[in-house]
Amino acid sequence: MDRRTALKNLALVIGSAALLPRCTSTNPVAHFKNFDVTNDQQSLVLNMAETIIPKTTTPGATDLGLDKFVWLMLDDCTKKDDQKAFFKGMGEFGDLVKKTYNKDFADCTKEEKLSLLKTFESKNKPEQKNPNPPDDKYSKELHAFYRTVKGLTVFGYTESKYFMTKEIVYELVPGRYNAMYPVKNNSKV
Amino acid sequence: MANLNVDSAKERTYDAIVIGSGMSGGWAAKELTDKGLKVLMLERGRDVKHLKDYPTTNMYPWEFTHRGEMPMAVQEANPIVNRCYAFHEDAAHFFVKDAEHPYVQTKPFDWIRGYQVGGKSLLWARQTQRWSDFDFQGPARDGFAVDWPIRYKDIAPWYSHVEKFAGISGNRDGLAELPDGEFLPAFPLNAVETYFSKHVKTNYKNRHVISARCAHLSKPNQIHLDQGRAQCQERTLCQRGCPFGGYFSANASTIPWALKSGKLTLRPFSVVESVIYDDNEGKATGVRIIDTNTKQTEEYYARIIFVNAAAINTNLILLNSKSKRFPNGLGNDSGVLGKYVAFHNYSAHIGAEVEGFEEWATDGRNPAGGGYIPRFRNVYKQETNFLRGYAAGLSAYRGYKHSRDGAGEEFKAGLSKKEYGPWRVGSHLMGETIPKETNFVKLDPNLKDPWGIPQLQISVDYDDNDEKMKKDYIEQLTEMFTSAGFKNIKAESNHQAPGLDIHEMGGARMGLDPKTSVLNKWNQVHSCPNVFVTDGASMTSTSCQNPSLTYMALTARAVDHAVSEMNKGNI
Repeated sequence: MDRRTALKNLALVIGSAALLPRCTSTNPVAHFKNFDVTNDQQSLVLNMAETIIPKTTTPGATDLGLDKFVWLMLDDCTKKDDQKAFFKGMGEFGDLVKKTYNKDFADCTKEEKLSLLKTFESKNKPEQKNPNPPDDKYSKELHAFYRTVKGLTVFGYTESKYFMTKEIVYELVPGRYNAMYPVKNNSKV
Repeated sequence: MANLNVDSAKERTYDAIVIGSGMSGGWAAKELTDKGLKVLMLERGRDVKHLKDYPTTNMYPWEFTHRGEMPMAVQEANPIVNRCYAFHEDAAHFFVKDAEHPYVQTKPFDWIRGYQVGGKSLLWARQTQRWSDFDFQGPARDGFAVDWPIRYKDIAPWYSHVEKFAGISGNRDGLAELPDGEFLPAFPLNAVETYFSKHVKTNYKNRHVISARCAHLSKPNQIHLDQGRAQCQERTLCQRGCPFGGYFSANASTIPWALKSGKLTLRPFSVVESVIYDDNEGKATGVRIIDTNTKQTEEYYARIIFVNAAAINTNLILLNSKSKRFPNGLGNDSGVLGKYVAFHNYSAHIGAEVEGFEEWATDGRNPAGGGYIPRFRNVYKQETNFLRGYAAGLSAYRGYKHSRDGAGEEFKAGLSKKEYGPWRVGSHLMGETIPKETNFVKLDPNLKDPWGIPQLQISVDYDDNDEKMKKDYIEQLTEMFTSAGFKNIKAESNHQAPGLDIHEMGGARMGLDPKTSVLNKWNQVHSCPNVFVTDGASMTSTSCQNPSLTYMALTARAVDHAVSEMNKGNI
């Protein structure tokens, strides 16, 4: 058993002990077509989505049900192997959170959550040529898990009715094509 | 009983039968009914009525369960159609799923099909360019296939005829290699496309970047309003079916027009098994179908038959139409039926970044898709190590700049910023391929489809000429982009299988000599002159222009000839 696995197992034991009441009494399973999801797992994805797209003066991920969209897309539009990788990565992500903060992601402060995701984000740029550099301490499944939650959350947000009617308005019937549309003060929003 | 049979046969007798209701079949029905004939149109799929049967046409992106993406189970069950660029949640119901109509891929061939009234005319990319004599003279000049039995002057008036009715937008660019037509106003080029157009005109002899010509009503005329169509609203959601009839489809244009005459009977759910040839009468007398609901075989009769089932299925029907006179398929005395199939080489594209032009963007959407570069290789004379040439799409675009990096409040706010990013420019290859005897379709001796009809074996592949042409496209476009100052130019060869271009052609080619071709200069089967083939199957060569407009013109021309021959009593 290598150090990493040992740590993981230890974290699991500590984690399970700490979470025992919640796990046994309130951890029913949601059934999807291709997998089951525990309340803890749902809570993790919901909290991650809300950290990525937080409620501000405008609706956030929870208000817009983006976590549900992540699960739907994972269930319906993702390959079996990628689903497996997602769950493996999700387990590792939970371990990482516990190792870092000694608690569940949901129980972390806003700053802790953001700091964790952002640390991760910087190692996880999609345009990075080698997504798994040799010194990377995270597995490819963990990267894939984060990338999936992030990608689907943002996709769900920018394709939501809220975003497409209030932020960048989508026109079903433009009724025009202006090929030479002047842009003034592009740097100003 | 005998009388009953006679009555029943009478009821199933028409002046003309049109097999297929898509791009060319719709035109056959329209032209035949315009000339007063009683027409039966057979469609293997279901009916799709204009307006009524476009279930997704007014849906917003967020109303699609998966925001347009196809469920993985569907993708995995349909590897062929899933490779089509338009196979998404909004239009998947207009595509044939892989298992519905099986075929044998002797070599990889992505056969993309639309089995419904309107066929693929609902789904096409609507690019419409005339051919020129550089195309019709191509095989004779360059020594491949057989000579086209027609020249530009033969088809030019028919291009005009169909353009006026369909509605084609474009500029009169005055190019010999891409003759002008009866145009509605063009959709203009944007700032970067215009810059590139000027750059090419200044620096390259006989190379041009023009507004793409497309079948959209940029400014409808009375004839379009009479069809119940309205001005294109620049939605670019065409593949869903257009509630405005803004682009040409059989559903919005030719079929309702023909139905209005009261002379068209439309019979969906009718898979054509064969064309019936009467050995005693020495002519085709009708069509045998299988009703896909009842699985019953039925026969319909007519004086003339137009086969417009789309190129590959037209070959299938003719090959399966066996009689004592034609043991190897209707009109196949020459043995070339099913052979000399060709397509368009779409297997490369190129993209680049554009610096500058920051004071311009675009607003709304361009239904034409941008610019078009007509063929400039080997036009006036052979000048490369490959035969023929290619056209290229050309479009530049600029969207809002959003960082996809980060999380949290600032990241979220960034997604709503309306700050334009840099321009990008892209092009894609549209290459002519050379029809060859070794690229063919034929009936599988054993395998049957769900209607008991033999499956087709499709054996079509790229060749060395295609590879050389692709290499040249990448070199030339890279050089043109470089000289224009575009940056970070990346060319990509996508290795897509033939078929995915959805421009399969040939198999029942036109020609002067019955010994080497199936159809004469009127798209009439040489040895069975009351059968006409006017879809992609009839093409002697492929040019590099998009083919649909030529199918429309050939169809209208063939109908005119057919009716005149009927009136003379010749058929």
